[in-house]
Amino acid sequence: MENSTKEEYKIQSFDLETQKLLKTALKDPGSVDLEKVSNVIVDQSLKDQIFSREAGRICYTIIQAEAKQTNGNVFRRNILNRLQQEFKAREETRKRSTQEWVCLVSFICNIFDYLKVNNIPMMALVHPVYDCLFRLAQSDALQNEEEVDCLVLQLHRIGDQLEKMNMQLMDELFNLLRDGFLLQEDLSSMGRLLLLEILEFRAGGWTLSETAQKYYYSEVTD
Amino acid sequence: SMSHDTGGTLARYENDCKPDENRNKGASRWSHCRKRGADGSLRKSHAVEEPVKCSQSSRRPKSFTTPESEGPVSRVKNWGDEVEAEEMRSNVQRDMHRYRRRILEADFPQRDRKISSGSSDSRDSRDSKESSVKGDIETDEATLIRRQKQINYGKNTLAYDGYIKEVPKHMRQPGVHPKTPNKFKKYSRRSWDQQIKLWRVKLHAWDPPAEEGSDVQQIEVIDLGEIMDFELDVECSVDTESKCPTSSGVSLSLAEDSFTGTPKKVMKIEDTEMS
Repeated sequence: MENSTKEEYKIQSFDLETQKLLKTALKDPGSVDLEKVSNVIVDQSLKDQIFSREAGRICYTIIQAEAKQTNGNVFRRNILNRLQQEFKAREETRKRSTQEWVCLVSFICNIFDYLKVNNIPMMALVHPVYDCLFRLAQSDALQNEEEVDCLVLQLHRIGDQLEKMNMQLMDELFNLLRDGFLLQEDLSSMGRLLLLEILEFRAGGWTLSETAQKYYYSEVTD
Repeated sequence: SMSHDTGGTLARYENDCKPDENRNKGASRWSHCRKRGADGSLRKSHAVEEPVKCSQSSRRPKSFTTPESEGPVSRVKNWGDEVEAEEMRSNVQRDMHRYRRRILEADFPQRDRKISSGSSDSRDSRDSKESSVKGDIETDEATLIRRQKQINYGKNTLAYDGYIKEVPKHMRQPGVHPKTPNKFKKYSRRSWDQQIKLWRVKLHAWDPPAEEGSDVQQIEVIDLGEIMDFELDVECSVDTESKCPTSSGVSLSLAEDSFTGTPKKVMKIEDTEMS
């Protein structure tokens, strides 16, 4: 049970005391300081790439647990407001550390993916998520493989949902990506490949055809 | 309403962009989204197509874009508030669909007595006879949301918890046991507020006993008319927090600008709720 919780929520990177706090929050949210828990989770998400991609799940579980136990949504409110602060400061974050910036984007997108309202994505997050992706599609960011990698990862995970929420913005985003791919000379070859793949991915209805799958993802044997 | 901050953000982008970038006009993008926000209707929230006429008609000059601001602006909600508002609207819409179905079902002889999951305040099959005109239900979203908030305020009490534990729904006797007012029925504002007041008063019969030496005494009849005459924009979490004395560091999420009446009086009532 111990290990499966660690595994499932990827909390190995936390110190033991924090792990304990999180586990308690999952089972008995009414007994812990939920504001503290949300800060712990957000802080770690900005540092730890693996966690930033998975933290949505642990948040979801705590939210469900709190709703069931106390009918409250203290935790969700705290996570969202904290996230909003980080979002507002994203440009400084990006200047300070690319790693933190991509973690932030991953985390926001992960939250968008997991925290739904009656099974509908949170409308309040749609524009912020698009804002982040548009930023990643700017030419200075496209030069940077780490950022391109983040961008395509998010589009793989939540692109179809985002498109449903706002088709026009997705069209505009992909116009940028297409232009970047075709016109920008300072892209790395990996960056270019990633862009090509995502362009095909969306063109195929957010899935890759078998041939495309083979092209991009199979090992080349000599 | 949509977050105004993001409108400003995108406008800021355009200043940072290179002139040859094919970026389009922030104004049209955000203003058509604002229109959707003003709709408030979540039924259209996952509409795939934005109507073409929408973006054309909303091509406003940049000066219309919300002024940029880094810090919180008083009229800009935080995400926590926005999502709660979304959730409230979504729940109310869902309840309305269920209620309509229930009315229709009740009109037909072969009654499907399947009770849908989740609680609903509007289960009375007698409703259909009373409002045999199908359209004769309250559909105004703002009204429904206001009423739901008042209902939530009453349900998030220990008294209500105690009540539902003690008296299962099928054992409820009309007149004897408090019945949650049906938010879908047409009532005047006054009539509705009065029903809520009476319901809350009746529920107090199930208040948990006061503790020894505590002066949080049980409720002599509070004149709830005082708090009912203005909008109560109180989040549900207010009362639930009062039930969890152990969750420290939690702040009461009262929207400060939502009270038109005396804040002190409202706080007092919450004190008495916290038993």
